[in-house]
Amino acid sequence: MSQDRTKLLQGTLDLLILKALGAGELHGLGISRRIEQITKGTFLVKPGSLFPALHRMEEAGWLSSFWGESESNRRAKFYRLTRSGTKQIEAETEQWGKVALAMTNALKAT
Amino acid sequence: MRLWFRFISALRNIVRRPYVEEQLDEELRSYIEMVTEERIAAGMSAAEARSSAMEEFGGVEQVKQTVRDNRAGTGTELLWQDACYGFRQLRRNRGFTLTAVITMGLGIGATTAIFSAVYSLLLRSLPYHDADQIVSVSDTNSAPLIDPDFVAARTATRSFQQLAGFHTYSEDTLTGIGDPMRVTRAAVTADFLPVLGVVPALGRNFYPDEDWSGSPNVLLLSDHLWRNKFGADPKIVGKAIKLDGTDFTVIGVAPRHFSFPSPYLEPDIYGSAVLERTTTLSSETQIWGIQPIARLRPGVTAAQAQAEMQAFIQARAKGYPPEIDSWVKSRRITVEPLQRHLTGDDRKPLYILLACVAAVLLISCANVTNLQLARAVSRKHETAVRGALGASRARLIRQFLVESLVLSSIASILGLAIAFVVTFLVRHAGSLDDSQIPSRVTHVLRLPFGKLSATIQIDGWVLAFIVGLAAATTLISGLVPAISGSRTDMRTALASAGARMSSGREQRFFRHSLLVIEIGVALVLLACAGLLVRSFMHVMSYDSGFDANNTLTGTTSLYAGVITLKGPSTAWSKERYLNFTDRLLLRLKALPGVKYAALGSALPLDSGGQAAILYEGVSNRPRGQFPISFVTDITPEYFPAVGTPILAGRAFNSADNETSPLVAIVNSAFAKRFFAGEALGKRFKTNDGLHGDLFDTLTIVGVVEDVRHDSLERDPEPEVFRPLPQGHSRFRLRLVLRTSGNPTLLANAVRHAMTAVDPRQPVFDIETMDQRVSDLVAQRRLIMLLIVCFAMLAVILSAVGVYGVFTYSVTQRAHEMGIRVALGSSRVGILRLVVTQAARLIVLGGILGLGSALAASKLLASLLVGVTPHDPISFSLAWVLMTTVALLASAIPASQAARTNLIAVLHSD
Repeated sequence: MSQDRTKLLQGTLDLLILKALGAGELHGLGISRRIEQITKGTFLVKPGSLFPALHRMEEAGWLSSFWGESESNRRAKFYRLTRSGTKQIEAETEQWGKVALAMTNALKAT
Repeated sequence: MRLWFRFISALRNIVRRPYVEEQLDEELRSYIEMVTEERIAAGMSAAEARSSAMEEFGGVEQVKQTVRDNRAGTGTELLWQDACYGFRQLRRNRGFTLTAVITMGLGIGATTAIFSAVYSLLLRSLPYHDADQIVSVSDTNSAPLIDPDFVAARTATRSFQQLAGFHTYSEDTLTGIGDPMRVTRAAVTADFLPVLGVVPALGRNFYPDEDWSGSPNVLLLSDHLWRNKFGADPKIVGKAIKLDGTDFTVIGVAPRHFSFPSPYLEPDIYGSAVLERTTTLSSETQIWGIQPIARLRPGVTAAQAQAEMQAFIQARAKGYPPEIDSWVKSRRITVEPLQRHLTGDDRKPLYILLACVAAVLLISCANVTNLQLARAVSRKHETAVRGALGASRARLIRQFLVESLVLSSIASILGLAIAFVVTFLVRHAGSLDDSQIPSRVTHVLRLPFGKLSATIQIDGWVLAFIVGLAAATTLISGLVPAISGSRTDMRTALASAGARMSSGREQRFFRHSLLVIEIGVALVLLACAGLLVRSFMHVMSYDSGFDANNTLTGTTSLYAGVITLKGPSTAWSKERYLNFTDRLLLRLKALPGVKYAALGSALPLDSGGQAAILYEGVSNRPRGQFPISFVTDITPEYFPAVGTPILAGRAFNSADNETSPLVAIVNSAFAKRFFAGEALGKRFKTNDGLHGDLFDTLTIVGVVEDVRHDSLERDPEPEVFRPLPQGHSRFRLRLVLRTSGNPTLLANAVRHAMTAVDPRQPVFDIETMDQRVSDLVAQRRLIMLLIVCFAMLAVILSAVGVYGVFTYSVTQRAHEMGIRVALGSSRVGILRLVVTQAARLIVLGGILGLGSALAASKLLASLLVGVTPHDPISFSLAWVLMTTVALLASAIPASQAARTNLIAVLHSD
């Protein structure tokens, strides 16, 4: 049961991270805050799920990282989308659209 | 693309691990500090902000671990950890590891060695261009075609792109360069090398019409002869050499590693064939044997080509002279892949060896499985602890399997080393010593599996095979112990605190079944080995007919004539021939240390001439339906020289000459078959086919012991001996000397004697009779020795298995034994208890083994001589040996159990 939810959340989380980075490069905390902002506070991404996801997505080639300075002049690791990450947004968005539609229909049917 | 990314990341994560970790540390730290700064900016105190940030973060180590777990390459790393752990475990249990590695290493090594032979000889394609399209065409009993048929077939058949061929076997004397030397020349058609896709290394190939009779005398040298006789002369092309006194021009040199596509021929010189354009056949036509090698047209199978050739040959028969009707009717053409033709009789023994060696490997695996099972039980506590600490079942199984993999990898390395040594020995058993033997023929062909043996080696496919074998042995020997080991009931295992844990009933059944199978398989091997040993003994019982000790033999070839359907003729007149033999014999007898010297048209084990036999008074039967006998022309001292006892009557003497009455000595098989054993003084007619339709009437003056011909494996057949001056063969002369000392010392003296009589006559094939016998049985002896070794190995391994299983079970039951002793059981009683239990399994294995051996030994039938596949002696001996060894192996742990120290056992609780 708990495993199923992680899986669902993981797919969602990936898309949210990709979306968050769509506007430009961000560091870990920035991504977290941006997701909170674009989902109007619905999703609060904890570091425990954020960092594994970032590292996994980087290894998959969707994100690339570099060290830069934060707005408070602190050294921080920034992430940005790669070309394959941009493609991945499209793919995942489409996928999500299908799932969302299916879910909505399913829920209406009852 | 994604895979590539993952691979690069995995590599980075493993190779630059400290760097990656440092980066992760810093990234997380900066996150926490940024959150802290936010909080401070929002008005919290520094300490408050920091602790709330940490709290929100939720455990730095956990986050790190999750990141690590998700990293690429983590699986590989864990596997590596498992392997290291497994290796440490194996090092700690030296006894177990050593036993398992040696057991499995022997199995893998033997299997790999035999596989590399099978692969090199039977599976790897021949070193010719598109070798799978090349076929050999042969007549009945692998005979070559006759050349008029061959020439006609080249234009008349549709199945072949090209139909090339070579005249079978010709020996010439090469003069003009150093000492005269006997060379083997194969006369090949002009398209012979192109069919094989072979291009001369130097010079050119034959022109397309250089194989018709009347073409200039041209030839190619083999690389071997070119290097050893001509000093690798780069300007050899265009030079002339003399063969049997005729000039030939060298037009090229064959490539270095070219191997002639014939199982019995490796020529020094490739001459051009001599084909006649007329394809009609009369009794006077001079005929040659020619062995065709052809390239099939794309899409045509060997079977289709064979059908076409058979029909073609039958159609040709209409133009044949009537004398050869019976031969024509029985002709059967075979078209088969060249590889099959080259390896012919060797295929079966090789597959049998492979099966035997696989059986040994199976036993090794069963043994190691049993060892691992025992170990898994004694490691139950460790397994339980690991389980309690959160290792999943899959993780535990993986751990066990990785350990087996480490084990079988080490064993594979040992196995590879064994296989290397074995293949090296096979190759070098018959390697050419260039300086000593300029002519390759005899030597290459003497290798145990023919000339392809020289190509046996460990290459990529054999290495792939060994990797596969390691994986298979891992799975076979590791899977069951892994599954049963991982199925640990943690509570009981932990509660009993590692004191005594017994294996379950189900596991015991499995272990015992393995043991029964081991004993059965070993028994099958043992029975097969017994059958082969008995066959070998039968084959080696040749000494009834002749005495191989202190005997030197040699050959000289007088042949310089032509063969027609009437038989061969020779350029040597009878006078010249008898004069030559008389003078040669005088010289040979005068050599020091020679007790007897004789000449003959054939010696024991040669294939001799054959003659039709006709009893007196029996009306003429149609030609071709007469009984057949070997016929050998000999000089007087032949029988004492060869060592054949005269059973009745007399030997020949110098009074038996051209003018005296025709006499014969027959062997006892002849006397039994044709004269019911009473042959002395009887008369019969014979025609050896060497002088037309004339039948000689011979009186039998002596009977001698049977001697085998062709091989040691055929039973003796009827044979007639005639005095040399009264016989008709004048083609090949065999000489035989019985010496008082080491016969090999006389080899040069024999050569000189021949040169003194006629300097143009070379003597060749000088070898002792012992050497000839040992060459003839070389392959059989090798196969027998290998299978005996495998059988011994199997017996030892299964004895180790029995010992292991019962030692283990006795240790497990030490407590029970103690109680039995305490309750008054005698030591002998305990001994009996254990041995009886073992005996039950051993008997079961025996029954299984005997049953399978009865079925399996039929496969050996083709290798057996003088014994039936169900030979009771071999089977019962095998059974007795296996049972005894296994019982002894079980008696050791049983006597240990009987010595159980009551006090120690009861105190251990």
